[in-house]
Amino acid sequence: MLKRPLKIAIYSGEIPSTTFIERLIRGVANSGTEVVLFGALYKKPTYGPRVKVVGYRHNQLSKFWHLLRFSILLALFKRQEKKRLDTWLKETHRTTLYDKVKYYPVLWYQPDVFHIQWAKGLDDWIWVQDFNMKLVLSLRGAHINYSPIADEELAKMYQQYFSKVDGFHAVSKAIGVEAQKYGAVAARIHTIYSGLDLSSMSSPQLKPKNKVFQLISVGRPHWIKGYTYALDACKLLKDAGFDFEYTIVGGADAIEYQYQVHDLGLEDQVHLLGQQDFETVQTLIQEADLLLLPSIEEGIANVVLEAMALGILVLSTDCGGMDEVISPDINGFLVPIRDAQAMADTILHIQKLPDSTCLEIRERAQAKIGEQHTEVQMVAGMQALYSSVISNNR
Amino acid sequence: MAESKKHKQRIGLVLSAVPGYSETFFRNKIVGLQEHGFEVVLFVTDGPASKQAVLDCQVISGPHFKGSVLKVFVISIFVLIKAVLWAPVKSFRHIQFDRADGFSVIQSLKRLTQNAFLFYKHLDWLHFGFGMLAVGRENVAQAIQARMAVSFRGFDLYLSPLKHFNCYKLLYKKSVCYHVLSKAMKQDLILKGIGEQNIKVISPAIDVSFFKTDVNQFEKSLDYSVKILTVARLHWIKGLEYTLEALAELKRAGIPFHYTLIGTGEERERLVFAAHQLDVLDSVTFTGRLEQDIIREKLTAADIYLQYSIQEGFGNAVLEAQAMGLLCVVSDAEGLQENVLQGQTGWVVPKRQPKLLAAQIMGLMKLPDSEKAVIKQQAITRVQREFHLAKQRHEFVAFYKL
Repeated sequence: MLKRPLKIAIYSGEIPSTTFIERLIRGVANSGTEVVLFGALYKKPTYGPRVKVVGYRHNQLSKFWHLLRFSILLALFKRQEKKRLDTWLKETHRTTLYDKVKYYPVLWYQPDVFHIQWAKGLDDWIWVQDFNMKLVLSLRGAHINYSPIADEELAKMYQQYFSKVDGFHAVSKAIGVEAQKYGAVAARIHTIYSGLDLSSMSSPQLKPKNKVFQLISVGRPHWIKGYTYALDACKLLKDAGFDFEYTIVGGADAIEYQYQVHDLGLEDQVHLLGQQDFETVQTLIQEADLLLLPSIEEGIANVVLEAMALGILVLSTDCGGMDEVISPDINGFLVPIRDAQAMADTILHIQKLPDSTCLEIRERAQAKIGEQHTEVQMVAGMQALYSSVISNNR
Repeated sequence: MAESKKHKQRIGLVLSAVPGYSETFFRNKIVGLQEHGFEVVLFVTDGPASKQAVLDCQVISGPHFKGSVLKVFVISIFVLIKAVLWAPVKSFRHIQFDRADGFSVIQSLKRLTQNAFLFYKHLDWLHFGFGMLAVGRENVAQAIQARMAVSFRGFDLYLSPLKHFNCYKLLYKKSVCYHVLSKAMKQDLILKGIGEQNIKVISPAIDVSFFKTDVNQFEKSLDYSVKILTVARLHWIKGLEYTLEALAELKRAGIPFHYTLIGTGEERERLVFAAHQLDVLDSVTFTGRLEQDIIREKLTAADIYLQYSIQEGFGNAVLEAQAMGLLCVVSDAEGLQENVLQGQTGWVVPKRQPKLLAAQIMGLMKLPDSEKAVIKQQAITRVQREFHLAKQRHEFVAFYKL
């Protein structure tokens, strides 16, 4: 074991990052590890003393100061390393000043582990291994599941570098299997499920379904979320005479959905809302009878974890790692992807279930989150991953 | 031609950019009008007037309000001063009409700076090439004492109002002659309160001398791996995800096929991934954008043409496919039902129902060759008779004589 605490760079390119990455940063830092954040600073975050922020603002002056500062430090104290990095930058045609703004601070701080959150940037950071930094990559959603299918160059880049990565954080077992297609070594893949803060979790209570059955989805209006299938399912439900309303939080600005709602005559049933704050989303989910995840691919959808933690029924498509959290008819419901008919049939089935059965499913859903998706488990898993890459290579 | 000498009319056509070579519609229209003695002035709202020589008509570009606040301010002041000095009466009228429509003084001045570039030519007609181009310019024609025309192309009639709520509210109150691509679009405009007499359907047209087939098309038999083709922008309105689902049904039914999708667009990743998930990627080729002569080659080699759009004004590519003697299956989106006559020149399938599309494809494959030949011949004949460029040109000439 190292005597000093590990120094881990958690890199997403942006400070602050997404909710889940921020939760990871704080969790890792709180467990005693030193965390360094590099990248563009959009808002001054308030982390504890163990988080070092090495960011630059998105303006010329800030970038110039960043570059000047680290160029001088490296020239004075790490001349050889700087020379080696400059040679690599030249060889790989990364010759702009922005490249140096991005890379020099990392070379100066030289963390033990450089943990990239997004796979598409992997080829930018493979050099860190030549400077005694271990490279860890998170396997998240789009970057693994579909982008390399349509982008041959990206697939080639993964094929070239995945075998060299020291450790992978997979958000689900399924995404880990997907990464192996590009040469990721199975033994280096750690499945670490996203963790939620469950401190305010309360047990679900018996509640009657709404008179007009309330369906809800939450997510950005992206094709991967499969909302067009959900809307086709709504048409089937309407044709079947089912009395329901469907709210898509985050779907307001998508003309595709607006047109489909209009085309299918669903104006009275479907509500497309803009983005809402966290509390409003939680309230809307709690008021719904069923959270619907119609995605055609996912890692594990965080919104499903949150709904299950709140004790809300979830119907999800069987994609990615969704079956690692949902056991059909036990703690939720699964339907095949791209199948509006199955989605509509299952909604009708759920609506007919007695409230007591629904309560049991909701309780088991919440219990599953408590077993598998706590913040403590996530941080412990991440610490184990970092330790393994350090010890495996020392 | 003698008639045109009596009165030479000048038409101002407003487009967002100078039409490229492949944009048959506007190029044909401009050439046709010039041949009939009209003078055409092209106004473009975006981009420089660099392709002027190609079109042989005057091109006037609108001002560019881009850059720093100071730059935009200076340009605006310059434009305003020019408008007041060079077209004082038209400027005054424009402000007056805007004020009468409830715009504030500031809003009226802003609209004047955006529209003044349309004031400096005497025009008989001011014709906006797309509905959205007329938004914010509703009073220009009245201010310059020209007649106003607006073309709707599908996307702007059906989708723009979803993005810009009530965007045509003011336009629909004005005295405008509308040009639409299909009877379906005409009906939709009538429902919005536009008088029938003010709406003229002028169908798109194709170069039937370029898109023509030889007799071999009629001897083709579909008992080998069927070659299916679509030419479309890779955009959700084209219904390509539903198309791929129908093809997955064909695969499940054990029917060998190859599907070629010609076109480029922002949703390539979505469609490639759909083909991958639906397990038909091996049987699908995404060619990207192709030139017309290559498209014609691909059409010659194909058996079935699909246009399973969610929204379609009319669909030129379907006309080209029919002219080339392909068996065409289309959705019932707007103008497609008029483009292809169900059971006579092809097949029309309700949109968003891939299982029905697959069933239709399988059904037509089972037809005797003689029946397929009849459909093909009827399609070719109809396109050659009703959708040729000369007809479209004549219709536009008649449009301005309304």
